[in-house]
Amino acid sequence: MLLFASYVFYGLWNPPLVILLWISTIVDWVAGKKLAVEENQRKRKMWLILSMVVNLGFLAFFKYRDFMLDNFTAVVNSYGYGYQAQPMDIILPMGISFYTFQTMSYTIDMYLKRTERARTFLDFALYVTFFPQLVAGPIVRAQELITQFYEEKRATINQFIWGLFLLTIGLFMKVVLADTLLSDTADAVFGSTSILNGLDAWTGTLAFSGQIFFDFAGYSTCAIGIALMLGIILPDNFRYPYGAIGFSDLWRRWHITLSTWLRDYLYIPLGGNKHGVVRMYSALMITMLLGGLWHGAAWTFVVWGALHGTYLVIERMLKTRIHIKITPFNGIFLALLTYLLVNFTWVFFRAREFSVAKSMISSMLFLNNESEKILYSFDIIKVFSVITLLFLCHWFMRNSSLKELSLKSSSWVLGIVWACMFFLIAISQGNGEQFIYFQF
Amino acid sequence: MQLKKSLIIAITLSVISLVAWELYWRSEGKIPDLDDDKNLWAVQRARVDDASLNDVLLLGSSRVLFDIQLNEWEKETGVRPIQLACAGSSPLPLFHDIVHNTDFKGTIIVGVTPGLFFSTTYPEAGPWKRPQSRVDYFENRTYAQQLNHWLSLPLQKNLAFVSTSEEGFSDDIDLKSLLSSISSTNRSGKPEYPPFNSFAYIDEDRNNPMSEKTATDTAFANGIKAAWKFIIMNNQNPPDKDATTNFFVADAEKFQERGGNLILVRCPSSGWLKEGEDKFLSRTEFWDPLVKATNAKAYYYEDYEQLKHLECPELSHLSAPDARYFTTELVKIMKADGVLSNSKTN
Repeated sequence: MLLFASYVFYGLWNPPLVILLWISTIVDWVAGKKLAVEENQRKRKMWLILSMVVNLGFLAFFKYRDFMLDNFTAVVNSYGYGYQAQPMDIILPMGISFYTFQTMSYTIDMYLKRTERARTFLDFALYVTFFPQLVAGPIVRAQELITQFYEEKRATINQFIWGLFLLTIGLFMKVVLADTLLSDTADAVFGSTSILNGLDAWTGTLAFSGQIFFDFAGYSTCAIGIALMLGIILPDNFRYPYGAIGFSDLWRRWHITLSTWLRDYLYIPLGGNKHGVVRMYSALMITMLLGGLWHGAAWTFVVWGALHGTYLVIERMLKTRIHIKITPFNGIFLALLTYLLVNFTWVFFRAREFSVAKSMISSMLFLNNESEKILYSFDIIKVFSVITLLFLCHWFMRNSSLKELSLKSSSWVLGIVWACMFFLIAISQGNGEQFIYFQF
Repeated sequence: MQLKKSLIIAITLSVISLVAWELYWRSEGKIPDLDDDKNLWAVQRARVDDASLNDVLLLGSSRVLFDIQLNEWEKETGVRPIQLACAGSSPLPLFHDIVHNTDFKGTIIVGVTPGLFFSTTYPEAGPWKRPQSRVDYFENRTYAQQLNHWLSLPLQKNLAFVSTSEEGFSDDIDLKSLLSSISSTNRSGKPEYPPFNSFAYIDEDRNNPMSEKTATDTAFANGIKAAWKFIIMNNQNPPDKDATTNFFVADAEKFQERGGNLILVRCPSSGWLKEGEDKFLSRTEFWDPLVKATNAKAYYYEDYEQLKHLECPELSHLSAPDARYFTTELVKIMKADGVLSNSKTN
């Protein structure tokens, strides 16, 4: 039933592309089955390669084909050839980056004998297709999810109500905070063709930093909530990331299921921190560059990843030389510093062209003398208020969780907060803006 | 903490607050109304694929949307037209879509609002991008979007507070619009767009009469006039007569060659707006050459005694009673000319 619902869910977007899901499912199911019994190392490797080729091949064809072709054309033409590439105008299958990574984790874990084979094909198919997290994560490992499908699940009443509460929070984050309060300001600033005033550039970037968090964390919270209403437990994907002190901490809190995926299947196989500092820093940079590219087929995403990689390398270098005891007083300062530096990376993530990013960065550094003000005072006050609350909330909650906080609260407080969120969602209405991460 | 208790409290408070919110906005004069958005348009556009020779399509900008009333047209002809006109838009992309992406061979009425019809063929310009985005949406809409639209219709029809609009009217009452209405310092120094309130109601099949308030409340109508003035005075782009005419004529020829019946209509305008149109987009320089080049039947409202004295409350569109009258009379004229070949006869 759940599997059928998941296919219908995906088909409501684009029915023919369900075929990709089926191919990915069948290939990885067969590969996993063979890896479970095959002892010949060479044959095991071949099955793993087959799975990787199919999944990465889908990604390369649907997501990176035009990007690779554009770059190839640019390189060829730089040597004086008048090559004209024929754009294929291929539709990007929704959630392809998420479900391919999820299925690959299964075959890699099977190859490394870190997980058991799924008991039935239907259990495995549901693992690939489970609708709450199919299109934008969390990216779940096989051992975390498939085992939950083996027995018939029914949510307890408390699980159901808590799931409903999480669904409300997720929608509140998306509809009210991201789309109603922040998106217009971010769009106005990043869509402007003018050289912007520093305050406007900062407001737009801060608005986007809030928008991307509320949008993506909102989706993840909805997914976790809906799954819980069905009795299925999904892992956390965000843990108050803007309260992070430093970038290692940030990546333990932001898009956790992707960062752990990249750590386990890319950073560690590249050598991790076991083979000296040069290799460690190289592995770190490669991981972050590919992590950037995972988000989108554009050089701006690569620069976003490179900046994060650079931050991580610098942080590790500093940690070996400077030892700071974190206190609440220097902690909030370091968290704020981390957050401000993160904002510079968001410029490359949001800007569609380098010229826009360059102009934004110079405005944020107050290097433009003749600049234009485009925002109204109220927009600036609104964004700074929301972002200040967001930062403080993340800072004070950084060692806690929503569940813990709720357990400490009275039923009345929780009920009133819940009603306020629902009321604001209802009067915001939204205009059907899709989640930003659907495009990745 | 008891989750069940929290849920009951949340449901109770949510219902109370939403009922209070609904009652408050109704007391302020809001009534449930549909949004004339891309979904509503796409549903009508989808009907064209099954349309027959008898069917009539209405293309154009807001004047066709306001001035041609579907009930009156149906009463006179027995055929309910498919309303595809889009406010603030050039009809050229819409006509191009029908000619190239369908095999429709019935009647197409194209409204010619000179400032929009002859504005541009540049794809990124507002009057082109706006209708083209609807065409693109129709072609690419997903089943999920269609389902979302059908689910939203009962809410839009029954709740006044569900009022977000694609147009972004100043009197929308969704949270984003309410926040936008808070007065604040304009740091840009650029002229501010005057408040632009919704001034019509639209049905599910996009029959769109002007609201009574616009026709009777002069101050309210003056607000709309101020918006027209702002749009026109801030438009720096001269009309592109040759490009627009040539583009349309090419499509018109193709449509007529396959047996389609093309009719051009110039709807009324009033006051300084009409004077401006006469001066800068005159009939002799724009309308007449277009009619000649397309060789289509054409109706200019000023040519008819029964239509020429109609007044538009906000200068550009007819009040609901006048629009009903205009439609009835226009159809009678067309029938007398025999251009609506498939309509019922009296």
